[in-house]
Amino acid sequence: MELQIGRDEFNQALYRAQGIVEKKSTMPILASVLLEATQGEGGGRLRVSAFDLEIGVTGTHPAEVQKTGSVAIKHKELYDIVRALPEKTVVLRREANNRVKITSGAAEFNIVGQPAEDYPAFPRAEKVAFVAVEPTQLLEMIEKTQFAISADETRHNLNGVYFETEAGAVRMVATDGHRLSLVQRAIEGDFGLKKGVIVPRKGLFELRRLLAEDGASACELGFTETSGVFRRGELTMVMRLIDGVFPDYAQVIPREADRIVTVDRPRLLETLKRMSLLSSDRTTNAVKFELSEGTLRVSSQNPDLGDAHEEIQVAYGGTAMQIGFNARYLMDVLSVVDSAQVNVELCDELSPGVLKPAGDAPPGSRYTAVIMPMRI
Amino acid sequence: MDAFYSSVEQRDDPRLRGKPVAVGGASRRGVVCAASYEARPFGVRSAIPMARAIKLCPQLMVVPPRFDVYSAVSDQVFEVFHSFTPEVEGLSLDEAFLDVTRSVTLLGTPVEQARAIRARIRERTQLTASVGIAEVKFAAKIASDLCKPDGLLVVPAGQVREFLAPLPVSRLWGVGPKTDEQLKRMGLRKIADVARADRSFLELQLGSTGLWLHDLANGIDPRQVEPDLAAKSIGAEETFEDDLLGEDLHPFIHEQALRVAARLRRSGAKARSVHLKVKYADFQIATRQETLLSPTDDGAELYRTALRLLQKMDADRPVRLTGVHAGDLGEAPPQLGLFDRPRDERRTRLNKSLDAIVEKFGKDAVQHADLLHKKR
Repeated sequence: MELQIGRDEFNQALYRAQGIVEKKSTMPILASVLLEATQGEGGGRLRVSAFDLEIGVTGTHPAEVQKTGSVAIKHKELYDIVRALPEKTVVLRREANNRVKITSGAAEFNIVGQPAEDYPAFPRAEKVAFVAVEPTQLLEMIEKTQFAISADETRHNLNGVYFETEAGAVRMVATDGHRLSLVQRAIEGDFGLKKGVIVPRKGLFELRRLLAEDGASACELGFTETSGVFRRGELTMVMRLIDGVFPDYAQVIPREADRIVTVDRPRLLETLKRMSLLSSDRTTNAVKFELSEGTLRVSSQNPDLGDAHEEIQVAYGGTAMQIGFNARYLMDVLSVVDSAQVNVELCDELSPGVLKPAGDAPPGSRYTAVIMPMRI
Repeated sequence: MDAFYSSVEQRDDPRLRGKPVAVGGASRRGVVCAASYEARPFGVRSAIPMARAIKLCPQLMVVPPRFDVYSAVSDQVFEVFHSFTPEVEGLSLDEAFLDVTRSVTLLGTPVEQARAIRARIRERTQLTASVGIAEVKFAAKIASDLCKPDGLLVVPAGQVREFLAPLPVSRLWGVGPKTDEQLKRMGLRKIADVARADRSFLELQLGSTGLWLHDLANGIDPRQVEPDLAAKSIGAEETFEDDLLGEDLHPFIHEQALRVAARLRRSGAKARSVHLKVKYADFQIATRQETLLSPTDDGAELYRTALRLLQKMDADRPVRLTGVHAGDLGEAPPQLGLFDRPRDERRTRLNKSLDAIVEKFGKDAVQHADLLHKKR
């Protein structure tokens, strides 16, 4: 293998692999990236792949290939080297025993590689019904659900976002058992899904990185029975879906509310940030809502520090009530909603609270967050 | 407590008083869990097979164990302990170390406290307890063993070594039949012999155990009373009379689940995980566990989960024991869960009523129908 490639091009490929290579795996080769130099009709290409047995990213990049071939190299060292190279181009050459010579300008590195054959085979994504997706929309949907994914590894069916389709719309739902976030957007095309699938947290995180780097190019998303596949030009990402049953989320979303409060979103977010400073337990972040006509009083207390309260003018004409919430759960939702005002729907102090953007949503679109209260 | 299980039985059934009583399964595989003082002269003691016990003492009254009753009495006894000091280290249902040093100014000398503890236990449970008092843990335990039943023995300050000297080496903590034999071969029969023995000689012969025994024999025991943390799990197990297969296991697992749930409710805890243990006829042990979406103290829920776990196990192999264990215990958290079913409230009320009936009329007053058909 011998080739010359643009340093920045190579650097970007290694950036994409960064979150995927496993530094602490029992399989040492998973800390490496696979480099494959090929020569085709369109000229030479360098394929850079990273795969941790769950998620894989692979992409090809134009290169001047003198000699085809492949090798696996430890990602971290390679990435550190490439970022520090002095010139705009870099030459890679595999020598005996899978050693790789990297030269750029006057700098030369000889680093230890491993045989490409030892690298695990990348999962094939054939017979995938791809659907064109709007990158900014997909990114938005991930951002509106990702925070509600359960961090509890024993609940593997909640360690991802549930993805399902319904007549011209896709819906993504995440829940950790205490709160739930649902976003739905109109989309054209058929994913061919018989039932919903659970996309793992790490896969979504990597997908989010890829979407954030390019919001303009055409993207495609598709599924096999066991994998989700994302494609953008020469770039492909494959992730193994979570094998589990997502809970019946629809039944925990209240259908109607006794009390609807319309409140200025940035104001409520700021208030919660302030009030939660005094919550007695930083992990539970308990705040108390006291609702009366036209006013929402938010308060918190800490036996060691003291207490705090703040009143917000709200649109509410119903009877008084109180309810406790984890402020973190509310702030997570208020941070991802774009509307100027939100509706907070409540029944009683033991029933879930629902947050929705105020105003009419475009057809097929919907955002709903459900948050269970805390006993106060 | 003195002959705890059998004393409880004699307390509750006047016909057993003054008679040799053994608590345990009467089946072929049963062993003696506890023997009354009347049975002991015959050689009946705990852990021997019941069949042998009956041979040794033909007039032996065999009583099946009622663990729920013992654990309720145990709770009462430990409540008494905790009213004297928070530093209680339970050894079993009926045995504990108490460090009363810091209670002296408030509640009197250790001897006064011991008298008060014994009196209060007798008053609350109509049972007798024996107390050993010493500066070090293991000497206190030996003292309480020596003064049973219904006794109080004080090892005067600074005289632990003298107190231990005449006792056989088998009284030392950590000396089982094997070490006992080894020590005897070295000519060490009494604790005094070990105390006088050469330290490096003991180390040479017995390794670190030798050093440990030398310390103990000289009254040196650096271990503090370590207060109990809250229970980490609650479980119920049972060995069957005959090996069972398939659905025949269900009523046993059901009963175990109900027993565990009753104990959870009594201690005010809820379980986040359920573990099923199965011992096959060849004594191989398998366990499976599942984390629940919301914590529970309901027997039906534990049973459903245990059955799901059973399905993940080898169905063709005969089983000699099953056990249901509830893990990740905790008080009900202030944060409510989305998937806490609305029926939970009704189950809670039902369980409360059932517990009240059992409390008033006994364990058999109300039964699940499937348990009536339990194949013994």
